Amino acid sequence: MTFFELFQQSLPLLLDGLGLTLVLAFVSLAIAMVIGIIASLMGMSKHIVPRTINNVFVTIIRGTPLLVQGFFIYFGITGLLNVRISAFMAGVIALSLNAGGYLSEIFRGGIQAVDPGQREAARSLGLSARQTTWRIIIPQAIRICIPSVVNQWCITIKDTSIISVIGLVELTKVGQQIIARTYRSFEVWLIVGAMYLIVIYLLTVLARYVEKKVSLDD
Amino acid sequence: MTNASTGTLKVEIRGLHKRFGDNEVLKGIDCDIQTGEVVCVIGPSGSGKSTFLRCINCLEEPTAGTIKVDGNVMDAEAKNIDELREDVGMVFQQFNLFPHLSVMENITLAPVLRKRMSEDEAKRVGMDLLTRVGLADKADARPNSLSGGQKQRVAIARALAMRPGLMLFDEPTSALDPEMVGEVLDVMRQLAEEGMTMVCVTHEMGFARQVADRVLFIDQGVIAEEGSPDEVFGNPQNPRTQNFLNKVLEA
Repeated sequence: MTFFELFQQSLPLLLDGLGLTLVLAFVSLAIAMVIGIIASLMGMSKHIVPRTINNVFVTIIRGTPLLVQGFFIYFGITGLLNVRISAFMAGVIALSLNAGGYLSEIFRGGIQAVDPGQREAARSLGLSARQTTWRIIIPQAIRICIPSVVNQWCITIKDTSIISVIGLVELTKVGQQIIARTYRSFEVWLIVGAMYLIVIYLLTVLARYVEKKVSLDD
Repeated sequence: MTNASTGTLKVEIRGLHKRFGDNEVLKGIDCDIQTGEVVCVIGPSGSGKSTFLRCINCLEEPTAGTIKVDGNVMDAEAKNIDELREDVGMVFQQFNLFPHLSVMENITLAPVLRKRMSEDEAKRVGMDLLTRVGLADKADARPNSLSGGQKQRVAIARALAMRPGLMLFDEPTSALDPEMVGEVLDVMRQLAEEGMTMVCVTHEMGFARQVADRVLFIDQGVIAEEGSPDEVFGNPQNPRTQNFLNKVLEA
């Protein structure tokens, strides 16, 4: 079998796997953004309780490997509570909590990076705290955050491959299955790697365009 | 002073103390400012003069004492603090223009958000103000494309758009290249001539001498000396004032 024949035969399966990878990443990241926003707001709260919850959450997410987090959710918690959830559900939970933890730190950093003079200027004009946050702070924080957020998106897209171990047949798992049949390790991993690379590349091109579009330096 | 209400009390400050941790920056300041008066605040750096200014619109919350503007107590925790601040314009050393908004949006944001003007009216007022500060052609520009002097003139226009009765200037020319100081002082001078009540923390002794009705010399957290520019600059009584002026005017 030539490389081209192998490629032709494998492509439909690999595209199915890529599809699941993208769905898994997209759903997880959408939830992770919400978790990240809520957690970052908790982290900046005046009150100690939400701040502590955020602190514990981020410490656990940062301090343990994603693989362990996935196992813990899929086998640990389900075993303890004696419930069954699908591998996809477990994957989404693990990835969204993981990315959510990192995103909350990115958002908090972005908001705190806005010059304090901006808030002072807005308040001195009579804007309320809420108007200042939404009209002045958030729009600037988003611009500051974009590169780091896109970075986290790239990481999470690739981290879906780690989640394959709990039995999700996404791109990496499909690659393993094809190799088990064909023994063409070099070629298959080359193709799988290229597929991840293309997705990430397209995302970064888009991100660079958006970043330029909203840039404040002109 | 041409202002009709000249002579009424605009700002009333009693027993103002401000402490940051162990550091007592303001140690009891009493001061009245009349409507239409131009007060320049001078003093060595770290003397508390910026803190004094920032207490007037409650950007800093006093540790003790009261501040009244138009008879209303300024209190950062008060429900109506936003409304009270609408009538007190402030200009910062670092300009603090909103970089994500155009020059015109910087000016119209507060009047529209605070429901003082319709969008159209705010734009008209904005254009008038930009014309006044000589920047009508920059309405659509982004702040980051402007020079320091232009930024500060926009910042003054932005503060004036709320039609404040009192303007606070916190070292408005200290971050500027020397050749741009004049254009900002010109705008301030014009404002003073129109009868605006102004409190200016400044290192521009020439400006203070020429424009101020009264000069406050703040040192070590108290008003060490005050009087007309001729009195304070021409015949300072306090040795600390003499010492400070000698150093500044030599430079």
